[in-house]
Amino acid sequence: MANVAKKVSWSGRDRDDDDERAGETTPLLNGTGPGAAGSARQLTPSSFLRIGQLSNVDLNEDIHELETELPRQRPNEIPHNEKLLSLKYESLDYDNSENQLFLEEERRINHAAFRTVEIKRWVICAMIGILTGLVACFIDIVVENLAGLKYRVVKDNIDKFTAKGGLSFSLLLWATLNASVVMVGSVIVAFIEPVAAGSGIPQIKCYLNGVKIPHVVRLKTLVIKVCGVILSVVGGLAVGKEGPMIHSGSVIAAGISQGRSTSLKRDFKIFEYFRRDTEKRDFVSAGAAAGVSAAFGAPVGGVLFSLEEGASFWNQFLTWRIFFASMISTFTLNSVLSVYHGSVWDLSSPGLINFGRFDNEKMGYKIQEIPIFIFMGVVGGILGALFNALNYWLTMFRIRYIHRPCLQVVEAMLVAAVTATVGFVMIYCSRDCQPIQGSSVAYPLQLFCADGEYNSMATAFFNTPEKSVVNLFHDPPGSYNPMTLGMFTLMYFFLACWTYGLTVSAGVFIPSLLIGAAWGRLFGISLSYLTKSSIWADPGKYALMGAAAQLGGIVRMTLSLTVIMMEATGNVTYGFPIMLVLMTAKIVGDYFVEGLYDMHIQLQSVPFLHWEAPVTSHSLTAREVMSTPVTCLRRIERVGTVVDILSDTSSNHNGFPVVESNPNTTQVAGLRGLILRSQLIVLLKHKVFVERANLSLVQRRLKLKDFRDAYPRFPPIQSIHVSQDERECMIDLSEFMNPSPYTVPQEASLPRVFKLFRALGLRHLVVVDNRNEVVGMVTRKDLARYRLGKEGLEELSLAQT
Amino acid sequence: ALELAEELWEELWDAGLPGDLPELEPECRSLLAAFAEGSAALTGCLGRRARPVRLCQGCYGHYRRLLAQYGSIAHAFGNSSESHNCARSILTSDRLQIVVTLAEFFNETWEAANCANCLKNNSEGLSNSTEEFLDLFNKSLTCFEHNLQGQASDLSPNNYTEVCKNCNETYTKLNDLYNHLQRLNRGGGESAHSAHLCIDVEDAMNITRKLWSRTFNCSVPCSDTVPVIAVSSFILFLPIVFYLSSFLHSKQKKRILILPKRIQSNASLVNIQEKYS
Repeated sequence: MANVAKKVSWSGRDRDDDDERAGETTPLLNGTGPGAAGSARQLTPSSFLRIGQLSNVDLNEDIHELETELPRQRPNEIPHNEKLLSLKYESLDYDNSENQLFLEEERRINHAAFRTVEIKRWVICAMIGILTGLVACFIDIVVENLAGLKYRVVKDNIDKFTAKGGLSFSLLLWATLNASVVMVGSVIVAFIEPVAAGSGIPQIKCYLNGVKIPHVVRLKTLVIKVCGVILSVVGGLAVGKEGPMIHSGSVIAAGISQGRSTSLKRDFKIFEYFRRDTEKRDFVSAGAAAGVSAAFGAPVGGVLFSLEEGASFWNQFLTWRIFFASMISTFTLNSVLSVYHGSVWDLSSPGLINFGRFDNEKMGYKIQEIPIFIFMGVVGGILGALFNALNYWLTMFRIRYIHRPCLQVVEAMLVAAVTATVGFVMIYCSRDCQPIQGSSVAYPLQLFCADGEYNSMATAFFNTPEKSVVNLFHDPPGSYNPMTLGMFTLMYFFLACWTYGLTVSAGVFIPSLLIGAAWGRLFGISLSYLTKSSIWADPGKYALMGAAAQLGGIVRMTLSLTVIMMEATGNVTYGFPIMLVLMTAKIVGDYFVEGLYDMHIQLQSVPFLHWEAPVTSHSLTAREVMSTPVTCLRRIERVGTVVDILSDTSSNHNGFPVVESNPNTTQVAGLRGLILRSQLIVLLKHKVFVERANLSLVQRRLKLKDFRDAYPRFPPIQSIHVSQDERECMIDLSEFMNPSPYTVPQEASLPRVFKLFRALGLRHLVVVDNRNEVVGMVTRKDLARYRLGKEGLEELSLAQT
Repeated sequence: ALELAEELWEELWDAGLPGDLPELEPECRSLLAAFAEGSAALTGCLGRRARPVRLCQGCYGHYRRLLAQYGSIAHAFGNSSESHNCARSILTSDRLQIVVTLAEFFNETWEAANCANCLKNNSEGLSNSTEEFLDLFNKSLTCFEHNLQGQASDLSPNNYTEVCKNCNETYTKLNDLYNHLQRLNRGGGESAHSAHLCIDVEDAMNITRKLWSRTFNCSVPCSDTVPVIAVSSFILFLPIVFYLSSFLHSKQKKRILILPKRIQSNASLVNIQEKYS
């Protein structure tokens, strides 16, 4: 017990030190000193388990007090691994700062004005839907035309060389075309906006969880994303254009709801009320839903996707608004595509991917098929886990070794060339010829087949992945050899796994569906062999189930995926089998590794907060979790101090507890409020100093609008010039700080702190002792560090990335 | 019989029975008979010309006539009370509606065969392109026949080089024309159905192609396996080189660990010690 008392006083002293030191422009270096010394211990693998360190408490204490004297050690470098949290990521401010300005504004705005705010929300949702739909149309049309052009060129070439000989030139042409298109797509992503890489779903998930991923919702990202998707699909990679629609929708939502674009430097002076993180978050979840809805023609699925995968914060009013945005989005896509395809107002192409209708006659399923579906779910779960595990190793390798943009571009090009080569070799070796039946095959390749027949492997490889999926679902029984399907599944599995994580923007939905559809169809065919051609073993049905199982095994979504599959096939009858398949796939997959998106979030070292704290963490208290010492500001603070604290690069803090300005009169400096870095910067920029107010300059009072105008890109402290005289001025924070920040006592357990933090979407949680003195501060990274690993509770380390 | 029916009708009417318990009126009956004969003729025609498919060429006359007959039953709807009665009593007065079913069947068959694609606009006759195609088709068939005869029996049945050499020109022309027609058709039409050429042309082409490439084995594509294997193995080899070289030469990305500022873990240890003591 003595030890505890000692610790309290130690930390108290430290805080005092900090307050004093704040004036001496050397803040926090000492504070980090002991930590740096202690790092040697932290590195040993066993020390991830704090509970394991029971020995020699006092000894440790002594050692590190001795080591405080040593100069700061060489920074510890370790190779990237999954047990890290990156410092790059910050939190979003979901907590409303209820300072006096806010109260004033609320008094000024009457009831009617709040009603117009509500109407504006609906208008914004409609606009999100419309624009998302239009972007989806644009992607669809451009991809269709460019891919059509590419396949025609290659097909003509192959046809020419089949007769004359020299097919190796066709192979080279195909590979070169693919590689060069992908090169462009990869260059723009790698050099201009790396955050546009991948499907964007992990990034949006993090954003909605409250992590500020740099650049994730910028207009530039949208442009790169859209172009990148088009190029990578046209480039023949094993990718889909559906996943990135979700990111695109989110960017559109974030952009529209702000009524301006900082990239274009245009401010339309509308929707200023929504310029804060909380409001933006709601619109972004609407945008994600609109994206899904445009991608799959599944408005309900979109809402559920947003609920299941995206939104970490949710309420009922939001649901209806999001549903509205989804509906508008799918309707817009529908109308525009109907005009484009020449059948005006025939609203029958609701999504980017249309799985086609399943016939009514062969649509049923029987009770004896249920175990078969469950078995397919198991297979899907295992294959999905395998996919994720392989992708995990690959991604780790990529992060460690292929981090230079040029290398990333070269890698993407190689993958594109190999994809083309594998496709070509498969088609070349295949002897599976099928008679041409009308125009069901978009680019029939004859190759070595007899005249009037086409190569059946070519329907799978020589096509955009979406079309291949539809072919696998709907081609009549007997269109594919089991051999063809088997080889295709095998090859495509590895290609897709290799492709995901490249520096191109592309999604994993369609490749997964394609792999699943291929082995599902194979499964269906072998089933009908086994049962001597039973009528119920329609390969198309099993292709659908296989696709669901594979996708479920990879991304581990359940509810939203069931609904998306149901909506995309326009078929409710298969709802129950799909649900069973997805459920089994998720259970089986989770037994081995986690879902692809969660895995990538972890590999990116994002401080992501799950729904619950790790279950075995009740013994940890806020005292151990928190960061300390805390850099505090006094209520009336010297400007020089503030500037120094803000410009200190070693402590890039964003929230500062405000304490009583004059600790000498009373014995303690109790917590008075919390102020954010962004607010301080705005204050400094407008030079709201006490002296100036006293001089009664004709200075306009600062309003909430001034803070909103600076949102979301507050200028860095370096750009604000403060003269030597001004440094001596005082600044009064009491009007601007949040006077009632959330606090917890030191003894609160980790799950308790976690719940408060997570449910309210906090960014800073102040830890106080029983005299209301600031003891520490809990931020997102402090909580996200604790994770339930294989051997129990693990602690992640912070790292500069 | 007519009088009898007339009487019956009147009796029923007097008894206040509703409905049109009917004998057909004579005009209607003749219309129906004509339709029956027409459909019999068309069915016969279709059946006879099922293999090799010559439906569109041979039966378009029958089909047109049948359409007209059906039209005179149905289309007079409302012109005069009499024919109105005909349409109603023939087409819609029972559950089976056999006339409608028959007419629909013929229409559907005709559509499925895409016959409209090789006929002139109002089904008066074969369109010019179709005529041209069929000419060429016949020419190539005769060419095949001639050359096979010339070859006589002394050669082994698998050796058709003569045919391949001599008929290559006609066959290529035929193939090109077919592809051209197909492209024209696809460019014009939008729905899935009109993308097909009519069944006659398709079938003729299928037969010729099968003869050419299956029976005669004429289209032997050059398979240049060696260069393809070389090129593809070169491309497949590239990633291995890439990954190996980046593994060996690229500097591994290191992360700099930042130590969090926090009370060293003693407190928790104390807690635990307390629990255990």
